[in-house]
Amino acid sequence: MSHWIELNIGPVHPSTHGIYRFRVKLNEETVEDVDITIGYLHRNAEKICELNYFVNNTIYFDRMDYIDAMNMELGYLRAVEALTDMEVPERAQWIRMIMAELSRIAARMVGIGALGLDVGMLTPFFHTFHEREKIQKIFVEASGGRQEVNYMSIGGVYQDFNDKIIEEIREFISEFKGKLEEIVKMFTDSEIFWQRNVGTGILEPDIALDYGVTGPMLRASGIPYDVRKDSPYLFYDKVNFDVPIARTKDNMGRFLVKAEELRQSIRIIEQCLAKLPDGPYFNPKTKKSAMLLLKGQGDVFTRVESESGEFGVFIRGDGGVKPYRVHARSPSFKNLAVVPIMAKGSLIADLIITIASVDAVAGEVDR
Amino acid sequence: MVATVKEIKMPKKPVPVVGSLKLMYSMGKYMFKKPVTTQYPEDKGEIPERFRFRIFLVPEACVGCTLCSKICPNHSIKMEHWDLDRSGLENNVVQTARGDRKNLQNKRNIYPDVNFGTCTVCRQCEEICPTDAIYLTHQFENARTRNSFTYSPQELTMQEEDVIK
Amino acid sequence: MSILLRIHQWFSFLGSFASFGVAYFLQSIVVLVFVALSFIALIYIFRKYMARIQRRIGPNRVGKFGLLQLIADALKLVGKESILPEGRDDMAYKIAPVIVMIATILAFVLLPFGDLAYFGSLAVTHSKVTLVLMFGILSIIPIGEILGGISTKSNYALLGTMRAVAKDISFEIPMMISVLAIVIVSSRSYVTGDAITGGLSLSGIVSNEVIPYGIIEPLGLLVFFISMVARASYSPFDLGESDSELISGYTTEYSGMRFGFFYIGLFGMVYLSSFLISVLYLGGANGPYDNYVGFIYLMIKTIILVLISFLIWVAIPRIRIDKFVNLGWKYLLPLSMANLVYAGLFVLYIR
Repeated sequence: MSHWIELNIGPVHPSTHGIYRFRVKLNEETVEDVDITIGYLHRNAEKICELNYFVNNTIYFDRMDYIDAMNMELGYLRAVEALTDMEVPERAQWIRMIMAELSRIAARMVGIGALGLDVGMLTPFFHTFHEREKIQKIFVEASGGRQEVNYMSIGGVYQDFNDKIIEEIREFISEFKGKLEEIVKMFTDSEIFWQRNVGTGILEPDIALDYGVTGPMLRASGIPYDVRKDSPYLFYDKVNFDVPIARTKDNMGRFLVKAEELRQSIRIIEQCLAKLPDGPYFNPKTKKSAMLLLKGQGDVFTRVESESGEFGVFIRGDGGVKPYRVHARSPSFKNLAVVPIMAKGSLIADLIITIASVDAVAGEVDR
Repeated sequence: MVATVKEIKMPKKPVPVVGSLKLMYSMGKYMFKKPVTTQYPEDKGEIPERFRFRIFLVPEACVGCTLCSKICPNHSIKMEHWDLDRSGLENNVVQTARGDRKNLQNKRNIYPDVNFGTCTVCRQCEEICPTDAIYLTHQFENARTRNSFTYSPQELTMQEEDVIK
Repeated sequence: MSILLRIHQWFSFLGSFASFGVAYFLQSIVVLVFVALSFIALIYIFRKYMARIQRRIGPNRVGKFGLLQLIADALKLVGKESILPEGRDDMAYKIAPVIVMIATILAFVLLPFGDLAYFGSLAVTHSKVTLVLMFGILSIIPIGEILGGISTKSNYALLGTMRAVAKDISFEIPMMISVLAIVIVSSRSYVTGDAITGGLSLSGIVSNEVIPYGIIEPLGLLVFFISMVARASYSPFDLGESDSELISGYTTEYSGMRFGFFYIGLFGMVYLSSFLISVLYLGGANGPYDNYVGFIYLMIKTIILVLISFLIWVAIPRIRIDKFVNLGWKYLLPLSMANLVYAGLFVLYIR
């Protein structure tokens, strides 16, 4: 006979980064069962998108995974462009690629810093956020917004890159290479970090596939699935990069995969900057009031690799100026679903790290 | 396929105590470096050129086309009636942010009214405005209470200090 | 002539007993005021230090360089409404922070502060068993924490208390054994090899400690340092209040000045443990030029230890509870036992 107590982690708790609630059944320190309640940040984004013109919905996607806004925009815009047969100029695509990778770095910085906080080390958080701040400065320089950037628009980008932005990105990349190694060392040098991450939160590959887990979590379980590699979009087939996988299946593997992906993101940005061509940065069909007159018919489903996994957008158009149905396949939602399986039988301290390693963003989970 | 799969090598497992000492050194050395935070009210920092916040209106240039209220994703812009006297203009020329405009009329006498509480500064109103009547500026220090976050067309033409009065 | 005797002389018109009473009272007040002031400075240093390591500026708005920040914080804590949880055990809930606070204050009175030029010896307590008293008081503090945890009827506090108890049991035995080794070593002077007394009082240990005991038994220093980090419960071993899992452990349901008492207890323990380590293992008030400046030697040693403790606090992640219990029973206890045997052999050798 076991005596258990119920611990209510969330909706407001230091280690649920975002608002969701875990009802944990505890036997002393051991987790027996986890029940996840979501919906605290439900903002009805998919329904609102049906009421708006195609151009308006970009900011609603910005606000889904609000720490990785560029990739969210990209996911939506790829769907709209496929629906309305809009062509994107080459320069705009390269710019989008640079921004998507920068945004991935910015999002990872939050994830890694928060993992540090959950393990109990306060300092790396400030270092990672300083790096994120530099990226956000680049975003402001390019788009005028820090978090809800709204930089990409249908058929191109909002404004062109100028020399100052390219110079800033170059400078950031050259500084970040060394800084990243330093930040990763801050974690891997600590034997307590090893103790708490190696062998905890194990996710078997077949369970990951059953639940539709994608992103670094799937790759840390040993399955090399990356949308950028398996169905390349933009110009991801023209740059060289590695898809890191780990066979350890635990939290440490996830952390190392994320760190390695940052290095690959730097590689991609460097190649993009070298290949950035001249030319128009937007499709002239979408300027001024033509923005309101875009029409599309049919079903499209496109996907991009966001920071937490495969982000897919489904749009059905009925030939009008507004979409008939918009649906987002959010990776965080799927990734969060395996937390009870990963945490079962572990200690409560491991549950917290497992939650942190999922990198779920409440805005994207609830939409 | 240019993307290749790469299996992660586990880094070397740290030696107990020595690893922690290395950690303490790598963090402790920042003690002697300059802090990176800025002190906001004294040091406002550099505002990038494309940074946008407060919406302004050139009322003489507005033709009341309602495009801004249509494109606003958050429905923050409503059109409002305002009897504006346009007779004071010389040769009917209006100066806007992107050059002069001639012979503009607003027959329905409607002008945009912005609720800043829901505005996310997406800049689409500025982009779509056919006569450049709406434009966004670098001003970002405006604090209002939640009941008075709506700027009427008159207030959109004023500076922040005058609006508060 | 110590400061106590000086005050006694000034009040000698009251008669012997009364004047000694007044002298003890006044000197305790002086020491406590000094401790409180240096304690405020300590929290200020901690916040600035932590900020600089994290590339921030730290408090700089209230007063010059933010020096008055702590006073502002204390006023805020006093002015806050104390929210009382429903279903609490009222008396236990209310006396728990007071126990922690009083025990922390009492412990400072027992410390041998050494000599300072004109004032002479600053030590308040001249008991022969201050070592025993000190560790008696240190073991009162967990009682306050446990009472605070279980009286609030909150699951977080309950888990925090369970962890705190597990932690306390697993490190206090190695701690006491390593202190025992100190007592053994200080029973004989290693200069002459004669048996000496005073091994159970802190000031006696300091006066015997010509070579710091940390050099004679480094193993004991290691065990005692780890135990003291655990006792003060900051970052690697803050299991009772691990803020990422249990929000704030046994202080979860406390607010206002009651929380402030726990907070003072936490920082007070950091300060006190640094004092204790420098007294027991680093020679306390002893230094190259003896007498007169012993107090300053003690303070220098203490402040360096405090800074090291703070660096550990901000740099090292939290250990898991089962690993900590493992560490306590499988590593610290055998190490402290080995240290005890070593201390015995050392005493036999110097005889």
